[in-house]
Amino acid sequence: MRFLRHLAVACLVVTVVVVLGLAWNHFAPSILIGTVQGRPHGAVVRPTGTGGPHGPKVFNLGTFDLGLNSMLQPVNWPYLRHTVVIEAAVMAAVVIIDVGRRRSRRASRAAQLAQPPSGDGDGDGNGDGDGEP
Amino acid sequence: MTSPADATSGASRRRRIAARTRVDFWFDAVLLLGYTLAYSYGFTGIGIHEWLGIGLGLALLIHLTLHWDWVIRETRKLLRPRGHDKLIWLVNLALLLAMTLCVLSGILISRVALPYLGFQILGGPFWSRLHVLTAEVTLGLVPVHVALRWRWIVSVGRRLLTRRAAGRPE
Repeated sequence: MRFLRHLAVACLVVTVVVVLGLAWNHFAPSILIGTVQGRPHGAVVRPTGTGGPHGPKVFNLGTFDLGLNSMLQPVNWPYLRHTVVIEAAVMAAVVIIDVGRRRSRRASRAAQLAQPPSGDGDGDGNGDGDGEP
Repeated sequence: MTSPADATSGASRRRRIAARTRVDFWFDAVLLLGYTLAYSYGFTGIGIHEWLGIGLGLALLIHLTLHWDWVIRETRKLLRPRGHDKLIWLVNLALLLAMTLCVLSGILISRVALPYLGFQILGGPFWSRLHVLTAEVTLGLVPVHVALRWRWIVSVGRRLLTRRAAGRPE
């Protein structure tokens, strides 16, 4: 019951975003497509940009052919590698920044604790309540 | 004092929490894998890309539902001066917008999945452009979304793998 209630709210939130997207298309599409007005209807767009040395080799032969052979072609593997490399690089950057931030915060707190009390009644050196171990 | 019934209930609750954590961990891992494959359009081909994208849209709805408590809790904390999850909240909001618009635009420019289901494509340059734009935004945000929780991932991953290596505790 609780799950269904949350699902209903999540659906509502997603619906709001969908309506915003549709409204954007209806009222101000030129913000996004000002430079590509001439693009044909239903043009193919590849989110990954350029990838393999000879371009993608996509197998799409029938109405319900998933094109599984595309994944078996070595010429298409650079597309996946490209995505994985970007994801790994961004994750590594975030983790490094997070570790550095935590270390510097811990060091500054340790420095605060090491200082002798100033006598003005505010020398506790903690209480920032950020839940750090 | 704790009665045996309470102890059993406590153990059962602990098991339930662990089960939920396991579900979160593996569900999120599958989501990340699915997203990586769906983004790699040149690798999967259009059929898998589109069906995976639709599946990802539904899975993301479930992901949002499973973490709705977090959304409520952190949104309430936003007004506090020292809410340390503000960055995560903003990243998650941006990701919700980008991912929803990406799936929506992907559905509207579908060339395989929607025609197969008998729907006429609405399409157009706006949706094509939006699909590319939001896909690129998600590629930046998804790894940030994952990496901001790296301590939880390492902690749960280590526990799950250790438990698996040691065998069942009961």
